[in-house]
Amino acid sequence: MSKENEEKLNVTVRSNTKDLFAFTKLVPNRKKRIERASSEPIREDTINDLAWKLHPERQFLIIDEIKEETKSTKTFKLVPDPNSVTKELAYFRPGQYVSLKVDLEGVRITRPISIASSPKDALKGFYELTIRKEENGFLTHFIWNNWKVGTKIESSGPEGFFYFERLRDLTQIVGIAGGSGITPFRSMAKAIIDGTIGAKLTLLYGSSEEDDIIFYNEFKEMEKNNPAKIKIVHVLSCDVITLEGCEKGFITKEIIEKYCDVNSSTFFICGPQLMYNFVEEELKKFNLPVKQIRREAFGEVKDILAHPDFPKEVAEKIFKVKVHIGDLTKEIPAIATESVLVALERAKLNPPSKCRSGECGFCRSLLLDGKVYINPVSDWRKGADKEFNYFHPCASYPITDLEINIPRDI
Amino acid sequence: MSKSKEQRIEDSYDVVVIGAGNGGLSSTAFLAQKGVKVLCLEQHNLPGGVATSFVRGRFEFETSLHELASYGPQSNKGSVRTMFEDKLNLDAEFVQVPEAFRLILTKPGEEMDISMPFGVDNFIDTIEKEVPGSKESVEKFFKVAKEIRDAFSYIGKSKGKPDQGVLFKEYSNFLKTAAYSVTEVENALGIPEKAQKILNAYWAYLGLPMSRMNFTLFASMVLVFAEKGGWIPTNRSHGYTTAFDAKIREFGGRIEYNTRVDKILVEGGKVVGIETTNGDKIKTNYVISNASPTLTYNKLIYPQSEVPEIAYKDVNARIHGLTGFVVYVGLDTTTEELGLHDYGYFIMDTMDTDEAYDSWKKLQPPKGLACCVLNNAVPGCSPPGTCMLNITTLYRPEAWKDVKPEEYVDIKNKIAEELIIKFEKATGTSLRDHIEEIEIATPATFARYLKLYNGIFYGYEPESWDSIVPRLIMMGKDVYIEGLEFAGGFNRRAHGYSSALADGLISAQLTLGKLLQEGGKE
Repeated sequence: MSKENEEKLNVTVRSNTKDLFAFTKLVPNRKKRIERASSEPIREDTINDLAWKLHPERQFLIIDEIKEETKSTKTFKLVPDPNSVTKELAYFRPGQYVSLKVDLEGVRITRPISIASSPKDALKGFYELTIRKEENGFLTHFIWNNWKVGTKIESSGPEGFFYFERLRDLTQIVGIAGGSGITPFRSMAKAIIDGTIGAKLTLLYGSSEEDDIIFYNEFKEMEKNNPAKIKIVHVLSCDVITLEGCEKGFITKEIIEKYCDVNSSTFFICGPQLMYNFVEEELKKFNLPVKQIRREAFGEVKDILAHPDFPKEVAEKIFKVKVHIGDLTKEIPAIATESVLVALERAKLNPPSKCRSGECGFCRSLLLDGKVYINPVSDWRKGADKEFNYFHPCASYPITDLEINIPRDI
Repeated sequence: MSKSKEQRIEDSYDVVVIGAGNGGLSSTAFLAQKGVKVLCLEQHNLPGGVATSFVRGRFEFETSLHELASYGPQSNKGSVRTMFEDKLNLDAEFVQVPEAFRLILTKPGEEMDISMPFGVDNFIDTIEKEVPGSKESVEKFFKVAKEIRDAFSYIGKSKGKPDQGVLFKEYSNFLKTAAYSVTEVENALGIPEKAQKILNAYWAYLGLPMSRMNFTLFASMVLVFAEKGGWIPTNRSHGYTTAFDAKIREFGGRIEYNTRVDKILVEGGKVVGIETTNGDKIKTNYVISNASPTLTYNKLIYPQSEVPEIAYKDVNARIHGLTGFVVYVGLDTTTEELGLHDYGYFIMDTMDTDEAYDSWKKLQPPKGLACCVLNNAVPGCSPPGTCMLNITTLYRPEAWKDVKPEEYVDIKNKIAEELIIKFEKATGTSLRDHIEEIEIATPATFARYLKLYNGIFYGYEPESWDSIVPRLIMMGKDVYIEGLEFAGGFNRRAHGYSSALADGLISAQLTLGKLLQEGGKE
């Protein structure tokens, strides 16, 4: 016993006897308080109720209306499926996405899609998702062939960090959009107009053809009615331009400078991968602080072979992946140029995923054996996950046979 | 929801641990190491509960840990370090934070700005410098605190059956202060009011006013920080909780993420199994619940008729603790540029802890903050030229109950903004133009990720009647369902990382004892 050789301290709070008595009463008092308490079960949990409203794990939706925007683009108006647990739609921040879960004959795949409507529309009971049909898009072909008014759709809650944050961003937003990358900006523009967001938006919107421009009239209208808040500039890469007031070419430093006060703006970029590569080079010329440039996660890398450090020699290979999921162990094939997530989906394992960009971590899995290629741009893993061999299948490519442990979808 | 049948877990386990928070992880690791067939089920896709991290842009933020008590240096190991290094050989690195805390009291007329060092003597001397004449009384505080520490150690060694005579002779001050609040004992010791304010700065780590906080628990905490320092993982809490995960697998245990237990099956007052929302049906006679008793009794026990009346009474008698609010900021400048030289800041509008606690009952900017500048403890934790900071405060959940989803972002931003301003004013710095990333966690955020009842991450409030002394004495008598133990911040050691970790070990040991008794294991 490590008692110090000092004069014994004697603390008295009330009196020696009372203090000791109080100690002896501790347990009887506790028992008494428990005995006297109510035996009613607790039913309310208002904070979890709020959390569920803001972040439902799933939303069960039904297509209420379909609108053709361009020859290859449709807007789907989604409302809660009346025969489901979804009674109201989660409110969101303009720029966020929902991750759709689509069943393609037993292959359940996810796709993040930006919400194109405003948060206030969610309170009215609908989301609008605007989707462009992709040339070789497995999923979008399915959607074009199958989605009709009345089709049921399953989605996540609102996700992602591509939104205006007044504590961080400058109130002049410059949106740089390409193709269907305009959709989050439609949500932002509507939210700016209805006062949900206190900011101004200048949108530089790149399209390859005039008839590819999405929301042309709608943005013109918004701009006309709110000239102090909304401005749109179309940048067209086609040879012949008939529309008025358009810029020709790509979104270059010169075009950005012409329409924006660069140093007092926060840039938001959303579009196809090729556009990011181009625009980021242009923006570099301004030497802006990192905080002034925000990027939407662009989804799965389309052409992993184009990444200089990807080991080209494995490009044609198909590897074996031994997957542990719950009590199931299964060996599946995986193509080197497709993400591990895609292989898991093809094998009908229903893996969890949301952003498909490496960012959200929802597909986080354990690499037990083998090697994967992870594109540095999509490597959002935590420090310890790198050390302990955790990886995000949506942003990882097999370059040897693998053994992995993945969580089930919740 | 089409759940795959072939992925279902249908095996039986000796023990199922519900939740991979601090208590669940230490329970699972201990049992796995002893060769027990143990399965830990976690509803989130990460280990740790609040002990985790998240990435925004170039920054990986610590979610909730300010500093770990009971870790200590190599030369003076605390119980957590002993557990991590000697018992589990966990692959995780910790560093000591540079100073105990800097207390900035902004109340007009009572202003104070004091940096406290670690070390009991340094602590006492620094208070004496600020409050001349306080030394003798503050020394007494630490003497009693040491006696309390030694008493716990003696009770532990006596395996819960201490000799009354020894207790009365050697640890009378432990006995005599056990039923009193911090304020009562500090007044009895004659500690000057201003010195009490400095001593009490750590109060936010337990989160109840000094007039209600039990002295024994509080004094133990202050002592352990003063003696062993505060420690943090170099790789955020996700570093050590992931190391736990790896160690559990190495020991032959199993953790299954994204797996939410929705039923603890009970028959005739005994645990017989669990069911999950994934459709798993798992036989087990022992469950260690890292979920609170509140959640376990009210939501998980099935059928509900198996919950004895006394269990509801137990939960209802106790005072549910606090939830919180954290602003995480990633800045594109350095701590030097900002003039922020300390790691831990307590910024208080008042050190009247009743008043500060009351401010947490309303949806308003709170009157007390605890902030950490991580780079001042872990220099390389963010990229060169940047630094990160968290500003934490607490709330009673009721404050947030009427918030509507469409007001939520505005409300949280407004509170966050006022907290940033308070921090800027108190430290004389300016953050606003440097915010590269910002994230705000509210009570709803803690509920979302952790599924805590009302988002409450501090356990039941340790007033004297429900503090660790009566809880420990009643240990075993509060098992209302055979085979069910609890582990974590809502259990016998009260809340805080090190308490939850230590509690998980005790629960695992008790469960192992029962397994051995029934002869199920060597």
